[in-house]
Amino acid sequence: MRNFDFLDAEYAISGTRSDEARVSPDAIDLGLSNSLVVPQVDRPSSFLRDAFANVPEKDRIRFAHGTTTLAFSFKGGIIVAVDSRASMGQYIGSGTVKKIIEINPYLLGTMAGGAADCSFWERDLGRRCKLYELRNKERISVAAASKLLANTVYYYKGMGLSMGTMICGWDKTGPSIFYVDSDGTRLKGKMFSVGSGSTFAYGVLDQGYSYDMSDEEAITLGQKSIYHATHRDAASGGVINLYHVKEDGWVKISSEDMMVQHRARMAQIKAENETSAAVVAEPAAA
Amino acid sequence: MSILEYNGGCVIAMAGKDCVAIASDHRLGVQLTTVAMDATRIFPMHDKLYLGLTGLMTDITTLDQLFRFRLEMYEMRENRKIKPKTFSNLVSSTLYGKRFGPYFSEPVIAGLDKDNKPFLCSMDLLGCIAEADDFAVAGTCAESLLGTCETFYRPNLEPEDLFETVSQSLLAALDRDCISGWGAVVHIITKDGVTTRELDGRMD
Amino acid sequence: MSVLRPNASVMGLPYTAPGNAPRGFTLGEHVDPEDPLEVGNSSNPHGKPRAIGPMGRRFQPYKNNGGTVVAVSGKDYSVIASDTRLGSGYSVPSRNVSRIIKLTDKCVLASSGMQSDIAVLHKVLRIRLTQYQYAHHQEMSLTAISQMLSTMLYYRRFQPYYTFNVLGGIDAEGHGWSYSYDAIGSHEKVRAVCSGTGQNLLQPILDNQVEFRQTAPEKKPEELSLEPCVELVKDAFTSAGERDIYTGDIVELAKVTAKGVEIEKFELRSD
Repeated sequence: MRNFDFLDAEYAISGTRSDEARVSPDAIDLGLSNSLVVPQVDRPSSFLRDAFANVPEKDRIRFAHGTTTLAFSFKGGIIVAVDSRASMGQYIGSGTVKKIIEINPYLLGTMAGGAADCSFWERDLGRRCKLYELRNKERISVAAASKLLANTVYYYKGMGLSMGTMICGWDKTGPSIFYVDSDGTRLKGKMFSVGSGSTFAYGVLDQGYSYDMSDEEAITLGQKSIYHATHRDAASGGVINLYHVKEDGWVKISSEDMMVQHRARMAQIKAENETSAAVVAEPAAA
Repeated sequence: MSILEYNGGCVIAMAGKDCVAIASDHRLGVQLTTVAMDATRIFPMHDKLYLGLTGLMTDITTLDQLFRFRLEMYEMRENRKIKPKTFSNLVSSTLYGKRFGPYFSEPVIAGLDKDNKPFLCSMDLLGCIAEADDFAVAGTCAESLLGTCETFYRPNLEPEDLFETVSQSLLAALDRDCISGWGAVVHIITKDGVTTRELDGRMD
Repeated sequence: MSVLRPNASVMGLPYTAPGNAPRGFTLGEHVDPEDPLEVGNSSNPHGKPRAIGPMGRRFQPYKNNGGTVVAVSGKDYSVIASDTRLGSGYSVPSRNVSRIIKLTDKCVLASSGMQSDIAVLHKVLRIRLTQYQYAHHQEMSLTAISQMLSTMLYYRRFQPYYTFNVLGGIDAEGHGWSYSYDAIGSHEKVRAVCSGTGQNLLQPILDNQVEFRQTAPEKKPEELSLEPCVELVKDAFTSAGERDIYTGDIVELAKVTAKGVEIEKFELRSD
C-alpha cells in the first residue's frame, strides 16, 4: 500500500513543519502588507483587460464612472463644484456620491474616472500629507501634494488606473489648482473641468467667468455650470456639491439637488416669456 | 453601446379593470448627450389602441408612419377599426418581414378589445410576440421596469389607481437609468376615452 | 455544421474574428462553450471552439455564480438578505449556499459574484476581525469594518475579488446603516442598496419604497420600521425570483438590532 505521509509535509500548517510547507494559511493574502497585490501571470498589467476582454457587459466587473467636476480660481479663492452620479454603463450606481474628497482642512481633491482609484489614492495622499507635516513642521504645498499623487499614479501607469482629479488648496503661494490624471499628466491652471459632462460645464463657465467676480457670483456660476452639465449629459446628475477654498481653508457652501436649479430656471424662463408676451401685446392694444 | 440604446427611452404598459395604461419617457439622446426632452414614442392607432415604440428613433418614426398607412388602408378596405390582437399580428409580420435587416425597435401594444377587455403585448425587434395579461415593458430600463411592475402591480385596478401604479413603476425605473427620463407621459385608455397626463420627472 | 447566428451587428454584439482574438494566458482550464456566464464566451459568435494559437486555452480566472444581496437600514436596525442559489450557466449546482456572514454582533456582510472569491474574502475578513479582537480587546466597529473591507478590496485592484458586497449593521450610536461596494472597494454609506444579478430589478423598488425618492417631500411618509422593512425585502426578493434566473430557492435574512443578529429563512420559487 502506498504511503501518503508525504502529504503531511506538503500541506502542513506553517509553524509545525514550516520549512517543508508549501501550502499554508500564509498563502492567503490577508492584506496586511500594505501593498497592492499584483497577479502572478505573464502580463500582470493586462490581466484585467484580458480576463474580461470578451465578457458580456452584464458580467464584467463594473467600476463606477461618469462625471462632471470643475474648479476655477478667482479673486476670492477657488470654487470647486461637482455632480454626484456614479454610472456603471447606463445603470446609475448611485446618485449621492461625494465627489469632492476632503484631503485635509486645506486641500480638496475631486473625483472623476474610477471611483475606487480616486478615493483610495486621495485618502492615501491625505495620510502622506499628514506625515509630511509631522516631519517638516509645516503644511505641504499644493504643488508638492499634487506631485506626490502624480508620481504615485505614474508608478502604476499602464496597469489600468483611471482617474482625472483636481487638487485644490491654499498655501504660502496663494490659491492653486493642479490637474492630475492617471496618465501621469500634472498641470497647473486657473480653470479646469473634468469628466463626460465637462464640455457642457466649460461652455457655461467660459461665458460667465471673470477674475474679479464676487464670491456670490462665483458660487452661482459654479452651480450653474454643473446644473447645465447634469441636464444635458446623461452620465452626470444628482446633487450639486460646492466648496469654496479660502486663505484659512475650505468651506462647504452647498449641497443641493439639481432639480432646485432646474425649477428656478424654468420659473425664470416662464416669467420672461410672460413679460415679452406682454410687450408684444401692448402695441397691438394701442 | 447597442444600437437599440443609441437614443435611449422606454415604454411601459399595464392592464387594469376594463382599462389599460401605456406610458413612456420623453428623452431623445445621441448616446450620452440629451438632444430633446419632448420626444414622442407612443402613438395612437385609434381611440382604443396605442402603440409604443422603443429603440432607434429614426426607425420609430418610420414604423409609426408605416403603421398609420397600413391602418388607414385596413380601415378603408374593411370599413371597421382594427382589433388589438389583429394589429399585433400586423406589427409582428411587418417586423419579421425585415428579418435580415431589422428595424431597431421593440414595440409595446396596449389597447381595449371590443368587450373593453385589456390587450397587452410586447415584441422583440424581429416580431416575436409576448402577450401579457398584467404588464408589458420595453426599452433601455426594461429590467428595472420589470422589477417595479412585478412588485407594484395588482390585478383589476381602477383607472386612477392604475395611473398611480404605472407612474410610480415608471419613475422609479427611470431614476436608475442614465439614458431614459427627462419627463414622462401616461395615457389611460378606458371605454369612455383616453386621459393623457404629463409626469414631472427628474431632468438629469 | 452551420449554425444560425444572429447578425452580430444587429444584436449589438462585438464581433471578433477568431484569428484576431486577443491572446491570453497559458494556463489551461475547462471552458464550457455553452455556458453564458462563462467569462469569455461571447467572443464565440460561431458557437465553435475559439481558435487560440500555440499558447493553448485562455486562462479564465473569473466566472459569475449569480445571486442577489440586499441591505436596508433604518433608525435602529439593519436588514441584510441574500438568496442561496448558486448558478453556473443555465444550471443550478447548489440551492443552499450561504452568501451571508455575521462579522460581529452588530455587523453582517452579504456578497454575490464568484463563489470561490466570496469564500476567500469571508475567510480573510474573519481572520482580520479575530486579529483585531486579540490586539484591541474589543469588537471592530461598523465604520472600521466598512473602511477595512474597502481597503482589502482595493489591495487587490489589479486582480480583484469578483465579489459585489453589501454591508449592514448598527454603528456606535445605535443607528442602522448600509454600505454598498463595487468590486474594487469604492464604497458609500446609504439607507438601502442591492447588488448582484437582481440589482436592476430590485434597486428601483428600494429607492421607491425605502427612500421614497419619487414622492414629493411634503408627502413623504414616515421611515419604515423593522417589520414592514422585512416584509418589503421579502416582497422584493419574490419579485426578483420571478424574473432573474440566478435568484431563487431560499432567502437568508439577517436582522441586526441592538439585541444582536437574528437570521430567518424563507422560500422563493425553485425553478
